[in-house]
Amino acid sequence: MCLLIWLVIDIFLPCVPVSTAAEPWPENATLYQQLKGEQILLSDNAASLAVQAFLQMCNLPIKVVCRANAEYMSPSGKVPFIHVGNQVVSELGPIVQFVKAKGHSLSDGLDEVQKAEMKAYMELVNNMLLTAELYLQWCDDATVGEITHARYGSPYPWPLNHILAYQKQWEVKRKMKAIGWGNKTLDQVLEDVDQCCQALSQRLGTQPYFFNKQPTELDALVFGHLYTILTTQMTNDELSEKVKNYSNLLAFCRRIEQHYFGKGSSSIRLS
Amino acid sequence: MAAPLELSCWGGGWGLPSVHSDSLVVMAYAKFSGAPLKVNVIDNTWRGSRGDVPVLTTEDNTISQPAKILNFLRKQKYNADYELSAKQGADTLAYIALLEEKLLPAVLHTFWVESDNYFTVTKPWFASRMPFPLSLILPGRMSKGALTRILLTRGEPPLYHLREVEAQIYRDAKECLNLLSNRLGTSQFFFGDMPSTLDAYVFGFLAPLYKVRFPKVQLQEHLKQLSNLCRFCDDILNSYFRVSLGDG
Repeated sequence: MCLLIWLVIDIFLPCVPVSTAAEPWPENATLYQQLKGEQILLSDNAASLAVQAFLQMCNLPIKVVCRANAEYMSPSGKVPFIHVGNQVVSELGPIVQFVKAKGHSLSDGLDEVQKAEMKAYMELVNNMLLTAELYLQWCDDATVGEITHARYGSPYPWPLNHILAYQKQWEVKRKMKAIGWGNKTLDQVLEDVDQCCQALSQRLGTQPYFFNKQPTELDALVFGHLYTILTTQMTNDELSEKVKNYSNLLAFCRRIEQHYFGKGSSSIRLS
Repeated sequence: MAAPLELSCWGGGWGLPSVHSDSLVVMAYAKFSGAPLKVNVIDNTWRGSRGDVPVLTTEDNTISQPAKILNFLRKQKYNADYELSAKQGADTLAYIALLEEKLLPAVLHTFWVESDNYFTVTKPWFASRMPFPLSLILPGRMSKGALTRILLTRGEPPLYHLREVEAQIYRDAKECLNLLSNRLGTSQFFFGDMPSTLDAYVFGFLAPLYKVRFPKVQLQEHLKQLSNLCRFCDDILNSYFRVSLGDG
């Protein structure tokens, strides 16, 4: 059934973002993600927050809309996606390109070497942090049993909720195996997270943002992941403890939260 | 530290000490850090599993996967990153992530998925180093593994075709090569005058792409236009691997 829906979306909702660059950013641009309170998972929440932070940094207004079937509406199957004018673009990378085509960019002031570094650090976050989040959500039995299965299947009736959750888990485990994370233990994954945070902390140093005075998409991505890790209640606190070891990363998250999201940003609780 | 360290890995050809990226990364790191490794090249008579290659065997244990092997060597005080600053160490991790995400899919595709390359070069080379009947089964399995990895990491679910990904992964790989070339500039190595972990990884990924003769060569052609990267590979081959070229 879901495959059919996906087929229909794929045929009737094209998503190539290149041609209508001339139109200005509309007031009614929307960002779609899963339901905040009951459904969304750690990794998807991080991705959504990263895009929201990026758009805030570019000063582009965006309205966040929560839909239970956001994952299926997305052209690439991944959340979040934005609906701007008659274009639909998903994931941070393509969204950054799309926004650039409309004339807004955070990384224009960087030279070639800095751009290479920025791309490398963004891959580091995707390679280690995102993969670790996926591992924790879908391959750690405690988390899967207590949190993930219930949340992922929550909008659907029995037995669909179980079937979809198991299907997604199988997909994620297959991917983990393909990239060599299949045999890792939780401790090794946490070790990798620590290494990644250490690298980010060392790169950030005492600067306000990764490329000194102005934030870039790298800052948005790092903020999205770290803030979500820090504010999400998991079965244990080991993941957020790893991040808390680095005080400059904590200060970085607070700075972006206060500057771009105002005080009193929600902290997500998963129960 | 005095215990003999033996590395089992795939052998060389076309002027390289090994044609397998992971094996080459470990060999290069060992040369840079001065670790005394005894290299055992896998051939028909080797009995172990070939899935984990390269494998480091010490007195007490066996370690596979380049990242773990390099960690082990560092703990044994063979550290090529001793002179690096904290930021350079962080940059190393980031650039390795870039290599794995952007360059590796296209390298895997060039070696294992592109049919002309696979059937005329890769498969015969690997099959000749495996005993019958493994030589009939294992190359196919390695090829399938490479394809799965590409589709699972770069493909989109589930109605998805390899041809669409091919264009994207080669575009990403060319961009990655350009970024590396920009970053290297005119320096001899990525962090000054002494080679480090990042140089080992870049060499491991680039050298097979640079030297192995393939029928379908689009990525190779692009690499050859980036003369500083070619010079980088040649320098390392001449300085660190000249003696063992005779074994390749």
